[in-house]
Parts: sequence; structure tokens; C-alpha cells
Amino acid sequence: MPKSQFVSPEEVRQKDFIKFQDIPVNQYNKTIKEEKANYSKEDFLRIYRDMVYIREFETMLNLIKTTGAYNEVEYNYPGPAHLSIGQEASAVGQAYLLGVEDYIFGSHRNHGEIIAKGLSAIHKLSEDELLEIMKEYWGGSTFAVVEKANPNASVKELAVDFLLYGALAEIFGRVTGFNLGMGGSMHAFFLPFGIYPNNAIVGGSGPIATGAALFKKANRKKGVVIANLGDGSMGCGPVWESLNFAAMEQYRELWDDEFKGGLPIIFNFFNNFYGMGGQTFGETMGYRELARVAAGVAVNQMHAERVDGYDPLAVIDAYRRKLSVITEQKDGPVFLDVITYRFSGHSPSDASSYRTKEELDAWMAADPIVGYRQKLVDAKIADEAAFAEIDEKIKATMFKIYKLAIDPEISPRADLDKNPDFIGDMMFSNAKVEKFDDRPCDVLIPKEENPRIQQIQKKVRVGVEDGKPVSKARALQLRDALFEAILNKFYTDPTLIAYGEDNRDWGGAFAVYRGLTESLPYHRFFNAPISEAAIAGSAVGYGLCGGRVIAELMYCDFLGRAGDEVFNQMSKWQSMSGGLLKMPVVLRVSVGSKYGAQHSQDWTSLCAHIPGLKVVFPVTPYDAKGLMNAALSGTDPVVFFESQRIYDIGEMFHLEGVPEGYYEVPIGEPDIKKQGKDITILTVGATLYRALDAAKILEEKWGLSAEVIDARTIVPFNYEKVLESVKKTGRILLSSDACERGSHLKDMAQTISELAFDYLDAPPVVVGARNWITPAHEYEKYFFPQPEWIIDAIHEKILPLDGHTAATNWTRNEQLRRQKYGV
Amino acid sequence: MATPIIMPRQGISVETCIITEWHKKKGDRVEVGDVLFSYETDKASFEEEAKEAGVLLEIFFEADQEVPVLIPIGVIGEPGEDITPFLPENMAQGQAADAAAPGGAGGADPAADAGAAAGAGASPAQVLSAGEIKISPRARNLAKKHHVDLRSAVPTGPEGRIIERDVHKLVETGPKVTAAAEAEYAVLDRPVAGTGIGGRVTTEDLQKAAAGPGAAVDFAPGGATAEGPQIPAVIEYQDQPLSNIRKLIAKAMHQSLVNSAQLTLNASFDATAILEYRKQLKAGQEGLGLENITINDLILFAVARTLVSYPALNAHFFDDTLRVFKNVHLGIAVDTDRGLMVPTLFDANLKSLNQLAKQAKRLISQAKAGSISPDELQGGTFTVTNLGTLGIESFTPILNPPQTGILGVCAIEYKVRPAESGYAHYPAMTLSLTIDHRAVDGAPAAQFLQELKQNLENFPLLLAK
Repeated sequence: MPKSQFVSPEEVRQKDFIKFQDIPVNQYNKTIKEEKANYSKEDFLRIYRDMVYIREFETMLNLIKTTGAYNEVEYNYPGPAHLSIGQEASAVGQAYLLGVEDYIFGSHRNHGEIIAKGLSAIHKLSEDELLEIMKEYWGGSTFAVVEKANPNASVKELAVDFLLYGALAEIFGRVTGFNLGMGGSMHAFFLPFGIYPNNAIVGGSGPIATGAALFKKANRKKGVVIANLGDGSMGCGPVWESLNFAAMEQYRELWDDEFKGGLPIIFNFFNNFYGMGGQTFGETMGYRELARVAAGVAVNQMHAERVDGYDPLAVIDAYRRKLSVITEQKDGPVFLDVITYRFSGHSPSDASSYRTKEELDAWMAADPIVGYRQKLVDAKIADEAAFAEIDEKIKATMFKIYKLAIDPEISPRADLDKNPDFIGDMMFSNAKVEKFDDRPCDVLIPKEENPRIQQIQKKVRVGVEDGKPVSKARALQLRDALFEAILNKFYTDPTLIAYGEDNRDWGGAFAVYRGLTESLPYHRFFNAPISEAAIAGSAVGYGLCGGRVIAELMYCDFLGRAGDEVFNQMSKWQSMSGGLLKMPVVLRVSVGSKYGAQHSQDWTSLCAHIPGLKVVFPVTPYDAKGLMNAALSGTDPVVFFESQRIYDIGEMFHLEGVPEGYYEVPIGEPDIKKQGKDITILTVGATLYRALDAAKILEEKWGLSAEVIDARTIVPFNYEKVLESVKKTGRILLSSDACERGSHLKDMAQTISELAFDYLDAPPVVVGARNWITPAHEYEKYFFPQPEWIIDAIHEKILPLDGHTAATNWTRNEQLRRQKYGV
Repeated sequence: MATPIIMPRQGISVETCIITEWHKKKGDRVEVGDVLFSYETDKASFEEEAKEAGVLLEIFFEADQEVPVLIPIGVIGEPGEDITPFLPENMAQGQAADAAAPGGAGGADPAADAGAAAGAGASPAQVLSAGEIKISPRARNLAKKHHVDLRSAVPTGPEGRIIERDVHKLVETGPKVTAAAEAEYAVLDRPVAGTGIGGRVTTEDLQKAAAGPGAAVDFAPGGATAEGPQIPAVIEYQDQPLSNIRKLIAKAMHQSLVNSAQLTLNASFDATAILEYRKQLKAGQEGLGLENITINDLILFAVARTLVSYPALNAHFFDDTLRVFKNVHLGIAVDTDRGLMVPTLFDANLKSLNQLAKQAKRLISQAKAGSISPDELQGGTFTVTNLGTLGIESFTPILNPPQTGILGVCAIEYKVRPAESGYAHYPAMTLSLTIDHRAVDGAPAAQFLQELKQNLENFPLLLAK
């Protein structure tokens, strides 16, 4: 789209061949003797020690799962345990060079990575730093456990205990765990050591890690992000999307010099050849060698390599070179195919029916820990006794940690009897943060010079003047109101970035962002590929790293493409982190019309169903600006619905005009758009205007005055105003453009029935769209709620209207018939 | 030849544009491709180039003006050419796009299976089952507040539901019920016209209604022939729906027999003393007001005083408890037009004969009138039922649970007994005592009857106690 880039027919039509470079496969070939230049004896032994820590930790869990005890101390752990016995060298090799400013994101099989990265961080941090971290974490409650159990230990020893205990207590769901026990085995993390959220959804970390790398780049933060993924995740669309998102050419070609270069991320595939039981080598994948994939993603082939993950030194060697590609050459992203193998099953219930004993035996014969130890003994780095001593010490430590973690006195669970809101209070952070950094905002021109702002200044800030509507071209429109709020935040919060499809240059498909390109450099405002999963998922990563972001999905209908990212990631990370993470993400989705079945759906109900998302749907310029301001000042994920029917509408209710300055409309408060006394009509979305038309008909034909309430927000929702209204009118009809079945309006109607039962003169009635595909525009009057439908429904179900004959069918039999046939 | 400059239409939904800037002035010479003016829609900005060479003869709209699309906004030509055909006011009308409301106007195509308009008929409230009326919660609350009779409401809500406006209407026009009549009216099976203030239904209206329709039913005899089997061609009958009070009585009586162990004892006593005493009362001075004390009152008095010594008979029996009362709250069975009613004479054992008689008279008359307070139709601990006035000589009264005893009073008969010379006759009255054998055994019940008999036969002594 940028005009600076020319797509030349002459060039692109020329005959040529695309050439690939060779992808190195297991090229590391150094002896211990050679490596002495890089490692001291302590380094060599520490690598061994870290691998054994992982092996023992995982062996312990395996014994608990399979025999119900560890060292004959019984414990019942019913939760998940995806163990990485056999994969220790790849994890330790990866973590060896990483600092705390380097973030790792992982998968369900993450215990090894947590331990390796944690041990590496403990080695690098000073004692003072470690003490400060441990004492501050959850007010020192996790640290207190290990400190009390081991009062004479050194700070570094305590830190190791702290790491193992925090992880194990988390796995066992204890309130002393790293995430208050709210994350568990597949979600544990510890930010101060650079251990970022691990994900139970295969490939889930792909987009999130990409967003974290985007955060580092756009905010000039040091460090590299590692996306730890399994080979099975190469079958997941969001992972492919992330590879491309991280490798987009615009970073090199279009972004300002200071920001040039791909995202600082290493896609590290721990390739153990199985996705659960599906064999990625030869069965479920076509790549044969995973590293091959990278060659198709970017011209630099993502510096892809296959590395022998059974040799910790080979992995360290690869990381030494690849980190420099990112930090020195600024030529990320990098793709690593680290081959490894798990001796344990996918999980302890795995009968390994998909592999032979011969295969398992062959890999166990190549055991990375045994092999590495033998090499060190052969090279006379240390004798067997030294290794045996390390083994014994680790076993003792692990047993000690185990006993602490299963003790209900020392490691209690949260008491939900005493504190029933313990989890509820974590669902939203509900904080107000004006900006996430105090540095100046990177902008291209002063705000007042923005051409869109200048254009808006000429507009009338109300939609009605002297009782007459102001023409659309003269009136400040809803899209202008959104723009004002968004632009203002770009000049307030330096961390704010926005992206989506066709955002830059085009100004967004519906012209909300028109004029934004002129104000903002690429690293704050850019075009995303058509990759909804990567757009939403990277926003999650950006947000949880501490940056504010507006991601746009263009059409609401594309939410399905970002299903996991919105429903499992954006919504859950605040609470799964025990409240540690914030999610200042605004996800703009636009509800269409006129464009048929896949471009016209109101999916507010889907979002409302998922705990952890705030859902708003303003339909007036005043509300749009106020709610956008509120969303952009909060710390919770907000799915921000807009309607394409009314981007051009002026302000018809707030007749003092939409304020030029800053104001917020509180999230969760409905608004009475028209007072009345005979019937309440509650709407979600642009249906408001049709409800007002219906109210007019009721007034003119029957002298009935309807009170029309605009929900504005779906989650959270304060029912007080609605209930007061129903107590007054005794009747309520709810309407929106969402399909009637499963519409959130049904939920609202049910709540109103319960809470206002004694005041109701009729059951609450929902008028939604038909349970069909959205047909072509010309048929929409048969599909979306119309003013006449509202009148008919009132007549048939609430209050028969004198002399009225319904044109649409709201009878009991028809309702039963539709339900019976599911239409 | 002069050519108009037309405001382009950028997109099918664009109706108007705003001219942001004219790059040429009136009188400027322009070449093909020169930028004439900039304009914008709500989504984007554009520039319009000259499509003809010539002089910009006229500009109809200045910058910042909003202009409908596809109309001339200026003219290019050679000096002196006529531009009047292009003046906006001379252009065809109706260029302005017809502004379609967002979402389109909803045409009301009559659907073939359009639902029937509900609530048109003025049928009375739909009764779901006895006593249940289809009504919205809001309307029910309103009706309660205004004491209106919902059976008179004309439902206009969907599916025959009484809704708020129907109650409002009833408050304005329909029958209301006085507070005194409400309880009884509530169990009546049909509406009644009110004659009280503001058309309220009074207790009097209820009495009249009770004596009214449904009372007399003629059964015409079948055609009789002289001989042989006489089977009528048609068995004539009439189904009379039970009133609610009849249903309640039916249910209570059946429950009583099903759920308790009833045993009836009969004994007669010499009524000479009470008849004599009654005679004295009647003959007494008028000013004392004792002349209205009846034989029944004397029996009630004796029962109340005697029961105090038999707590198990002045009691309520529950499955695992016997609730024994300190005072006697005497139920008095009263035959009324609407059926059996049993008002309670509270603390009967503490009352003087005169007080007791006055209370009993009031209770009986109110029960018959239907004006008795519901509070006085409950709480009895023992019941007396008198069929003696109707000539009954002996019967088996049915307990009024959870009470443990009920005394039936029968007619006076004359009996003989041995006298000094032959036989003497005397007035005898039979008492039929039914007890709940679960609570009381036969012997103590017989003792009670015996003591009652003694008290009645020596009534002046009882009065002196």
C-alpha cells in the first residue's frame, strides 16, 4: 500500500529462479577441549547440574502421577503433567546465555524451560538483586516458606529453592505458588527471571511472543524474546501467522532507521518429533525437516538451523550466534529447529502406542545427561564422584521442596470459603493508568497540526441544530469522535501503538484512522498482514509486557479467525497470572451490514460469554469518544464494538455537543436515551435508532411513551437503571442486531425477570435478528430487527395495541416452530 | 462551448461532498489536467482535475460548502458564453439523493401467517384451575392494593392474561369488595354485583348471592306407567359445581376421618335443672337482659367449665405432640347458607354465663351473615355441635382436627325411670362425644361425660363454683 514502494510489472514478470541458501543441520562439531576457551570448569558443571535439576523435578512429578508418591511420601496430584524427561539439554542450552531482560514464552511442556531459565537468571543476578526480587514477590510470602525451611542457606541456594518451590507450589495449585496457584502446570511463569507466560494451547505462545518482541522493538527495550514451541504447533495457523508477522519486510523497508530490522524474536521449536502422538516426522507434516519451513518465510530464511538439542553445548553455540544476529545485525526473526526427544509420554497417561520400544531405547542410549557427563569425565573436567555429589544434593533439595509444597499448612490453597471473591477479584484489574511510560511520545507533527483534527474543527459538534438534523458532511461523526479519543491517547501514552489491516495510509476500512498516518511513525502505527490471530495474539503479548495497544479486526465476523487469541489468551491472562499481569488491550471490531452472511454479524454475545473480557458497543459520537477514552485509560482487555451503519452519524442526544476535551463514559453504565413511562426498550448497538423509530410510532399511534435505554456496555453491566425503568413501566423489550438464539439479550431478559418479577406486566421480550445467515442487503429488512417488528412484538407479547394487526409473526406457535427447527 | 464542472460521486453511498479548496479563481485560464479544486467525503480527500481547457467562468459554490454530488459547481468555457443553463437553480430537481435511513425502512409486507391480534375479546379472566387466574405479577400486586375482584377483570393481555391496565380499568369501573367481605368473597366461585359504596361488594351482597342461583333444581318425574318396571327414558340431573366453601368442608371432613381414630360415646342427662333455670331466666326482670340466654348457652357454659379438668380433651393432637391449652376456646358449629362454619368463642371458661351467651349469639349471627372475621374462624380447642333443635336423638360428630374432642348435643326426649311409686318421666338430653382415640382413651372420655352430666343436672351448683 505505501506509495513509496513500486510494484513494477516489468520486474515482477521477468524470468528468474528463486534461490535458497543451505540450511545448516547439526553442524556443531567442537570437542570439550576446544570449548574450554568458552567455559570454566564451574560452567561445565553448572550445565550438568541444571540438567539434573530438570530431570529430577520431572522424575518426581512422574512418580507422583504414576505411583502416588515420591520417596515414599504420598501425594495425590490429579492435574496435568507434560514432562520433558530427555529434553533437558535443549532447555539448559537455550537458557545458558539469556539474561533476565530476555523473555521466554513456552508451551504446556514448560517445566524444564522454567527451571533452566530460572537457574540461569539466578547465576547472573547478584545476591542483592535476588533478595530484592524474592522479598518483593507477593510480599515475600513465597520466599518466607523456603527461608524458614532453610535458614542457614546462602542467597543463591535460597534462590534455587525459591525457584523450584514457586514452580512446584504453582503446579499443585497452592497460594504460595508463582501465580497464586491460578495458573498451574501449563501456565506457570515468573517475570523477574524473564520467564513469561506458558501456554496450554498448542502454538498459543507464537502470537503472544511475537507481541512481546513488538513491545521490545517499539519501546526500545533491551533483550530478545524466545517463543518456545513444539514441532506439533507447526500445524497451527496462528504460528504461521506469527512467523510472517515477525518477518514482515516493512520493518526493514519502511520503519524509521532506528527501528529497522525484523522483530527481536527467536522461534525456537523443541522438535521432539511428536505432537502428542501424531508423528510430525513422516506422518502429520510435510516439511520432513522442520527448519525447511523458515526458508519460505523470509528472504534471509530466518537464519534457520537445525541444532542437536541432545548436546547442551551445541545449543549454546547456536544461541551465541543467533542472539548476535538479532542484537548486532538487527536481522531477526530467527528460526531454530532444536531436535530433542522425550522419554516420558505426552503425559503420564500416555501408553506410547505410537512408538516402538526400540526407538525409545535408542534415544535413551543417547541420554543427553549421561552423554554430557561422560564427555566431561573423558576430558577430565571432573571425576565421577563430583557428579555423584551433584546428583545427591539435587535429590535432597527436591525432596525438601516436595515436602514443603504438599504441606497444607505451609503451602495452603486459597480459602474460598472465607474469601469467596478470591478469583472474582482477579478477573479484571480495573485500574486507571493514563500512560505506561513517562517518556515523550514519538509523533511526527504537533497534535493541532493533524489534518484530520483541522478538518474536524470545522464541523458542528451536534447532530441536531434548532430541531433540524445537521447534514452528515457538516456534523462531527461517530468516526471523528473515535479518532479524537485515539489521537489524544497517542499524544499522551508513549507506549500506545495501533495496527490492523489497512490501518496506515488507507486510514482503516471505515476511515476512523484517517489522518493518523500523518501524525505517527511506523513503529506506532502500521499495517498488519491479514492475520487476525497474529493481530489479536500479538496485542496480548504487547499488553502483558506493559504496553497499551489498539488492535483492529476490521469486521466482527473475523473474530472467529482470532478465536483462541481473544477467548483463551486476551481474556484469561490477568486472572491466570494471579493478578500479576495487566491487559491494556483495546480490540476494535466493526459490525457490518449490507455485505452478507460473513460480514454482517454482531458477536457481542460470544465475547460476553467469555469471562475476563469487557465488551462495549457505543452508538453515539458522545458515547464512542467517552468509552474509547475509558477503554484507553484502563488496564483490562476491552472488545470495542462499532457499527458500520452509523460511523457517519452525528450526536443526537448530547445536545451540548461532543466535548472537544477529554472526558470518559464509564464502562458498564447504560444510558437512557429517551425518557418514557409505558414501556422500556433496551438496545445493544445500532438497533437503538430503530427502537427510537418504534418509540415514535407508539407515541403517535397509541399515545404510549417508551423509555429507550442504550446498553452501551455489555460486560460489565449495571442493571440498576434498567430495573428502575422496569419498575416504572412494568414492561420491557430488548433488541439488538445479534441473532436471537443465544443472544446476550436473552441473558439480560432472564436477569430482569428475576430481579423485577413482581413489577412485570409481561415477560421481557427479545427482538433479535433471525437465526439465519445474513442475507443480501435487499433482504435485510426480513433479517434485522425493524421498528415494525418491535411494534408487533409489543402487540403480541406485551401489550395488545388497539386496532393493530401484526405484519410479522410473534405467536406462540411460530416461536415453538422456529425453536423446533432451529431457525 | 461552455462545460459544467460536476461534483463527482466518489462511491455509491456518497450523497454530498465538501469543497475544501478552489485551486483556480474565477477568470483563471485552465488547461486539461489542472487541479481545479479539492473536496472531501467523510472518508477521504480528493482532487478534481479540469477535463476541458478554457476559462473558469463561474464558481457556484465556495470552499467549505457542502454540495450534493453530480451537480455543476462551476463552468469552464470562453468569455461571453452563456452559463445560465448550468446555474444550480436551473438544474433538474431531485438531484439530492434520497436519504435512506440507516438500516433501511422496514416495509411491512403482510406475512401470510400473520399472528391473530390478541386480547380483543372481552371474555372473563381465564381460570387455569380453581382459584388460579392468569395474571401478570404487576397486575396481581395492583389488584391486591385496591381490593378489586379479579374475576371481574376483562383480560386484554396476550393469551388472555390480565395485565396492569385491566386492573386499572377495574379500579375505575369494576366491582370492589369491602374489607369485611373480602375473605369470604375470595373463596366464592362467581362474581357478585356490589351494592355498597362505589359499587363495592358487601357482606349483604354475599348473603343474597348465596341464597340465589343454583339453589332450586327441579327434577321432573319420568313418565309413570301403571305397571311393570318403570324406567324413565331420560335420567334427568343437573351438575352443580361445588362452591369453594363446600369443597373445603368436603376436604376437611374427609381428612378428619382418614387421619384420626374417632370414637363416639353417648350418654343422656336429666335436663330438668337446666330447663328450670332457663325458665327462671326468661321470667327474670327485663332490665337484666338475661332472657335471651338459651339452653345451648347453658350447655356451652357447662362444657367450658368442665373441660378445664380434662386437658387431653382441650388439646390439639399432632403426630408426636399433644398441645394442651390453658383456657378453653370453644368452637361452635353453625349451620349457614353457605355450609358449616365453626366460629370460636375464646376463653370460654373465663366468661360469666351472660358474657358467654352474648358472645355466642354474636358469633352465630355473624357466621350466618358471612361477616365473621377469619380470625374468629380458627383457634378452637374443642367444638360443640347442636343438632337437637332439629330433633336428632343421637349422632356421631366428626372431629375438627387437630382438636381431640367434639360434643354433639341432641334433642330433648322424655324418658322414664323408677320412682317411689311406679315410674316417673323426665326430660332427657343425649350428649354424643367423639374423641380422637389417639389422644384420649375411652375411660377418661367417659369420665368427662359423667362430670359434664353431673354439672348439667346440678346447674345452679356449677354456677356457684
